[in-house]
Amino acid sequence: MAIELADIRFHYPSRAEHTVLNVPSWSLKTGTQAFVYGPSGGGKSTLLGLLSGLLSPNSGQVRVLGQCLDTLSNRQRDQFRAANIGYVFQQFNLMPYLNAIDNVLLATQFSQSNNRGGKENEVKVLFNALNIPENEWQIPCRDLSVGQQQRVAIARALINKPKLLIADEPTSSLDQANSDAFMKLLMPMAADNNMTLLFVSHDHSLSSYFTSVESLGDFNQVEGINNAS
Amino acid sequence: MLAKLALQSLLDRKGSAMLSLLAMTVSVFVLLAVEHIRHQTKDNFSNTVSGVDLIVGARTGNINLLLYSVFRIGSPTNNIRWQTYENITSNKLVKWAIPISLGDSHKGYRVLGTTQDYFEYFSYGKKNRLEFDQGHQFDQLFDVVLGAEVANKLGYSLGDKVALAHGIATTSFSMHDDRPFTVVGILAATGTPVDQTLHVSLKGIEAIHIDWQHGVKVANTELTQSDLEKVDLQPKSITAFMLGLSSKMATFQVQRSINEYASEPVVAILPGVALSELWRMIGVLENTLLLVSILVFIAACLGVSSMLLASIRERRHEIQLLRIIGSPPYFLFLLIELEALLITLLGCLLGATLLMACLASLQGYLVAEYGIYIASNILTKHSGYLLMSIIMASIVVAIIPSLSGYRKARES
Ligand SMILES: Nc1ncnc2c1ncn2[C@@H]1O[C@H](COP(=O)(O)OP(=O)(O)OP(=O)(O)O)[C@@H](O)[C@H]1O
Ligand SMILES: [Mg+2]
Repeated sequence: MAIELADIRFHYPSRAEHTVLNVPSWSLKTGTQAFVYGPSGGGKSTLLGLLSGLLSPNSGQVRVLGQCLDTLSNRQRDQFRAANIGYVFQQFNLMPYLNAIDNVLLATQFSQSNNRGGKENEVKVLFNALNIPENEWQIPCRDLSVGQQQRVAIARALINKPKLLIADEPTSSLDQANSDAFMKLLMPMAADNNMTLLFVSHDHSLSSYFTSVESLGDFNQVEGINNAS
Repeated sequence: MLAKLALQSLLDRKGSAMLSLLAMTVSVFVLLAVEHIRHQTKDNFSNTVSGVDLIVGARTGNINLLLYSVFRIGSPTNNIRWQTYENITSNKLVKWAIPISLGDSHKGYRVLGTTQDYFEYFSYGKKNRLEFDQGHQFDQLFDVVLGAEVANKLGYSLGDKVALAHGIATTSFSMHDDRPFTVVGILAATGTPVDQTLHVSLKGIEAIHIDWQHGVKVANTELTQSDLEKVDLQPKSITAFMLGLSSKMATFQVQRSINEYASEPVVAILPGVALSELWRMIGVLENTLLLVSILVFIAACLGVSSMLLASIRERRHEIQLLRIIGSPPYFLFLLIELEALLITLLGCLLGATLLMACLASLQGYLVAEYGIYIASNILTKHSGYLLMSIIMASIVVAIIPSLSGYRKARES
């Protein structure tokens, strides 16, 4: 199992009365390409926060890649995340003042493997595979188009060869054409690298790319919130 | 990577980073300048006289005696009798003695009447003897030896005639112009008040004061050089004298015996002790300056820190991103410390370079105009320590924004 959740309850410390997640049981098989949809404010990003170990559940157990996150120290959790999980977000994926290559290399900084010379070549291979033109590699990322930025973000997420790739509405700032192009790059890359992919979005139309499609409301049992999309 | 990130992130905020850098540069410049000049003047100052064991003058304050005998500042309250000089120097512990007679001037520069022993025994700095740039010491009645600055500023060269003025005001009307002196020697620069002095023989001083009583010319007898040589030019009084003793151990003993000299109230001072007493008085001013420059530096440190603190809010997403890709919270702490450190290091570099450039270009002017020599090489042990404390202090002050960055990273 790539992900196993058991008896999860979570609320943000600033709003104790508002339970965001209540997941008695949910799991994701290794190698699945899963799509989880849900309305805005439904707790998708919060769920991903729990999986990354940046948020801790108030109760229950989170297992990622067989590793129980609450038995790890903070430091170990950071290292685990760096080495095993790749992320792509809707925006703010990159350090705006670093160029594309440095942004990707920055992600290798915190994972165990730290062979720079070799990594730089891998970055270039990734950029070529992701159709990022060479003349864009050295300019600050804030000057790239949004589509290019998202593709650099994929490279950033893949550089450490994570076993789990998490995508949080990565296409919602892209137009239809760019969004399709993005999906057509992402899906085979995840498949070729044998990664488990968890893709969350409120946009149900993307579900056609995935083998497994679920609604967050189906396994998140919080009362009073609109669970259908 | 950490360094690259810090540098790029600063470059990204050029405007505010530049201003912080500027403030840091200015404060480092001021701090280094004050500290450097402090040590330089202190060195110069304690170098004005060396090898002199005792200075003897009419009874007055220690510092007053030091000021007029060594620094040519102020005027003596009383003279001492020649007889006293002879009695005291006849002590067998006295190795040498330099009598000095002050009271005349030339275009604002003091005239010092003395003997040839002055050139033999007077020393400054690390026991440096006076050296002649041109010419030789006086041996005729109307010979004068000029200090380096006097010759330089007034444009005198060997053989020129110099008329002395009675009194020490720049625009004295009572000139001894009937008996001009001839420049026979010019001393090499020493960086001490010697550079600003005209040296003549005691007899020369006596000679120009014939016909003068109580500072007023009372007769106008035309005396020729040969006439004057026949007159008894033995001085009846002098202003002060310097003593070298045959043994340092005897200093206090001789000092006590001089202070107890019965027939005239005289006092003997140890130049080193009086110098440090004087230094302590001047030191108050210097310490105030240092304090002010430390405050300026602290303000610059706080400026850097507040700039960084403000940036943390803007950088919320960057911090979150760093956390997502696995950076531990302390990485943020280090990043912000490093940014502060970069500004400080660059500020130190610029401030020090600027100071050296300023000193190098002002050096000639200061020597020519004020006779002050300040070395342009500021890379001394002291400024090394100072730079080190500057860096330490900025690291300490930068803990404030760094901690805030650390906390932000933990929360996200
Ligand atoms: N930092 C926070 N502090 C307090 N409450 C929060 C915080 N972040 C999110 N929430 C609340 O938690 C709930 C779930 O938010 P979350 O961001 O997980 O939703 P989402 O499904 O990702 O929505 P979207 O599709 O708009 O991204 C919302 O009600 C939100 O108000
Ligand atoms: Mg979200």
